[in-house]
Amino acid sequence: MYGWIWRHLPGNAWVRALIALVLALAVVYGLFQYVFPWAEPLLPFNDVTVDGQ
Amino acid sequence: MARARSRIAGVTSVIGELLITTGLVLALFVVYSLWWTNVLADRDAEEQGERVRDRWAGGPGALDTKDGIGFLHVPAMGSGEILVTRGTDAATLNHGVAGYYLDPIRSALPSDKQGNFTLAAHRDGHGAKFHNIHKIKTGDSIVFETVDTWYVYKVFNDLKETSKYNVDVLQPVPKESGRTKPGRYITLTTCTPVYTSDYRYIVWGELERTEKVDRDRTPPAELRQS
Repeated sequence: MYGWIWRHLPGNAWVRALIALVLALAVVYGLFQYVFPWAEPLLPFNDVTVDGQ
Repeated sequence: MARARSRIAGVTSVIGELLITTGLVLALFVVYSLWWTNVLADRDAEEQGERVRDRWAGGPGALDTKDGIGFLHVPAMGSGEILVTRGTDAATLNHGVAGYYLDPIRSALPSDKQGNFTLAAHRDGHGAKFHNIHKIKTGDSIVFETVDTWYVYKVFNDLKETSKYNVDVLQPVPKESGRTKPGRYITLTTCTPVYTSDYRYIVWGELERTEKVDRDRTPPAELRQS
């Protein structure tokens, strides 16, 4: 999978490494900004109130 | 034969990479929950708290619940001041504040002649304002600061573990605390054990006295020791 991505990136090894780094950061950003905030309320780790439900 | 073997190797390596990726994503989620949400929430709470203080600088006025009604100081938790705002839904508490209950049992306000001022805040993440709730002991002070009054409460009981369905802890006279007569109580609720929310942790206090806020906002003696 990662090998496939690496082979399909353009440029020499340095350019590929740079692009790979940018892609990885983009994924982390997407996770922190969108995926985790969406997933968190669905997980039972952080309910602090007492209620009837 | 050789081709079949290399296909198996290929599939295996993709599965392996997916497993490693899942592990990394889960590790990142922990970083997000326990660190990044605190960064965001503390920033929100600080801005919101400053807005409240700015408005207060205009002098005593009517109670305004928009940004917050006051600040909670609990020296035993050692986490500085905690802004208190209206409501306990996740969107509110995620801003790094403590909220007073509207639901299922409406909280009294400290200024009310009697009743139970009931609060909730996060134990971990999103500011983790009640993280150290287990350090509060009987006899410790909880001070609530409003625009014109310091309310000094003394802790008299706690429940280290109770069901999340136990809404009776929020009653105007919380029987489980041992009190049977109407009074001016304060109740802190959060989740327990740390990092999970299987149960709820409850701390009860009772109003000891109030002090008028003077021009310099001199804190009451309980807050000056630390």
